[in-house]
Amino acid sequence: MELLTANTGSYPRIGDKPEQQKHRQAYARWEKGEISDEEFMRVQDEVTKEVIQEQVRAGLDLVTDGQVRWYDPISHIARRLKGFEIDGLLRFFDTNFYFRQPVVEGEVRWIGPILVEEFSFAKGVSPVPVKPVVTGPYTIARSSINRHYSDIEGLVLDLANAIGREIGELEKVGAEIVQVDEPAILKNPQDLELLRNAIEEMREHFKSASLALYTYFGDAAGIYEKLQELPVDIIGLDFTYSGNLVDIIEEKGSSKGLGLGLIDGRNTRMEKEAEVLPTLERIIPHVEGRPVYLNPSCGLEHLPRETAFAKLKNLVAIANKAREVLG
Amino acid sequence: MREKLRKLGLDLPLLPTTAVGSYPKPEQLVEARRMMLAGRLKPKDLREMEERATKEWIALQEEIGLDVLVDGEMYRGDMATYFAENLEGFKISGLVRSYGNRYYRKPIIVGEVRWRGPITVDWWKFAQALTKKPIKGMITGPYTMMDWSFNEYYSSRKDACLDLAKALHQEVRALAEAGAKIIQIDEPALSTRPEELEEFVVDALEIVTRGVDAYFIAHVCYGAFEFIYPQMLELPVDNFDLEMSNSELDLVELFRRHPFTKDISFGVVDVHSHVIESVDLIKKRIRRALEVLSPEQLWIDPDCGLKTRTREEAIGKLQAMVKAVEEIRASLREG
Repeated sequence: MELLTANTGSYPRIGDKPEQQKHRQAYARWEKGEISDEEFMRVQDEVTKEVIQEQVRAGLDLVTDGQVRWYDPISHIARRLKGFEIDGLLRFFDTNFYFRQPVVEGEVRWIGPILVEEFSFAKGVSPVPVKPVVTGPYTIARSSINRHYSDIEGLVLDLANAIGREIGELEKVGAEIVQVDEPAILKNPQDLELLRNAIEEMREHFKSASLALYTYFGDAAGIYEKLQELPVDIIGLDFTYSGNLVDIIEEKGSSKGLGLGLIDGRNTRMEKEAEVLPTLERIIPHVEGRPVYLNPSCGLEHLPRETAFAKLKNLVAIANKAREVLG
Repeated sequence: MREKLRKLGLDLPLLPTTAVGSYPKPEQLVEARRMMLAGRLKPKDLREMEERATKEWIALQEEIGLDVLVDGEMYRGDMATYFAENLEGFKISGLVRSYGNRYYRKPIIVGEVRWRGPITVDWWKFAQALTKKPIKGMITGPYTMMDWSFNEYYSSRKDACLDLAKALHQEVRALAEAGAKIIQIDEPALSTRPEELEEFVVDALEIVTRGVDAYFIAHVCYGAFEFIYPQMLELPVDNFDLEMSNSELDLVELFRRHPFTKDISFGVVDVHSHVIESVDLIKKRIRRALEVLSPEQLWIDPDCGLKTRTREEAIGKLQAMVKAVEEIRASLREG
């Protein structure tokens, strides 16, 4: 059984140890103009390298750059696209984290690479494969104030064009799998057709990279079968909100690869092997698609650094046991 | 609900003015808290400074002319962490990012949550002894405490919330026994998962308030209450304190469709802005509220705690608010 271990996105950029303060300190000094953009960039490089090493040390097969340079998942992408201004803080879904809300003031267009440098750097310093993570067009559109388009469809499709082009660039520099995050679809299942159109638009711009569509912060049970019909290769699922997602997968199976978010990325409680193993045993025999990942339910930035690392180590230990048991 | 206030012996004018909870801490107090945490200042010395700052805010509120006062929360850091540190069953986490370069420590529920003894009662008594005006008792509510904490102990959000409710009920009882007649339950997280309101939040607040003879206010900030309206009206409180000035919501429409059946503390000044609202702007906001609410159900206050403003901004906003209310009261008297 090929069960892989992966990170889902963000990773805490500071910790509680004195040597883990450098990102916060450099950020404060950069904001005051005491250090240059280049100097802050150098610190972000260093911290990116450290969080990758930490994920590798935990034993992951597939890591991310931890999104160490991101202000938040929404504005980090929007501020580099034409057509957006960035406004005040707003709560990020039902978390205690806040993002800067983009305002659409004109036609949205891709005007140059957004994540290519970040990804290339991460790939260059990582001994294991790195997965770039992009926030999806639907979620960015839903998180923005729209002052330009007459309806959300137009905005979503222009965003899909822009993000598709970005994925094309990521593919050119070596991305074999790209994760597109669409948490907002779980609260708006009526827009699944729009999401499908957006994914089709994105796919116009890249060739062979695997597309992993990740959903979280909600219960995917009600739209699981519809998600299976989307033109994506892998579906990421958050099990922390759902009572019956496991039953549904057991019953319906999966023709696609899955990202199993069975490790709660938002709570410090450590999962027990005895809770996760039986679930894996129930799901995996019904999954035809590949690959199958065990990963946190969402990015790990909602946890303290020490806990994030412990979660990943625990995740790897559980996956090792599952491989043993499932053969 | 004016009947209930009268029964409690509170004779408040029409459109009572109040504040939501926190005021800015003096710079020396912020520094002193830092020193205390670093172990370079004795708790007793910090307490003295907190008392001095509290006295100052009580005097200021009287001078400004508020009708119902708050203690200003000079002794609190974060509103959730403060209660977590004083209840049994909690630990405090390592640093977590909230936005940009801001980090905070989050409570972790690690055992059964229990009330160890009064948390806010001493401070309430201290503040009330300084004035004849009523001081609100203030607690962070069970839903917000649950939502803003990690949970390593309870098997569900509901179980955690209900146990928190039991513990906070004891705090509320202790406040009422000490003499608090108006008690505010801060629930800024209330609209986080709207479906949970009926699943267990109504029950939780029933546990908190059951059998306690006081006028209860639920403070809900961060806008977004439209997702839980009108279901929200089922909560067993007398008054909802809502952020209104910083909301793009068309209240008039919403309240026309579903009349507001409780009292309301109507936020009329924006606590996120440095600009002090003009008396005219505040009057306009109050008049708009009066289109769909009766003067008997209306209280007037800022959107939220004023702790992020400077002292001068906080005072300026409250003064403008009180002046606007006085002018509206005069015009109501004239009919």
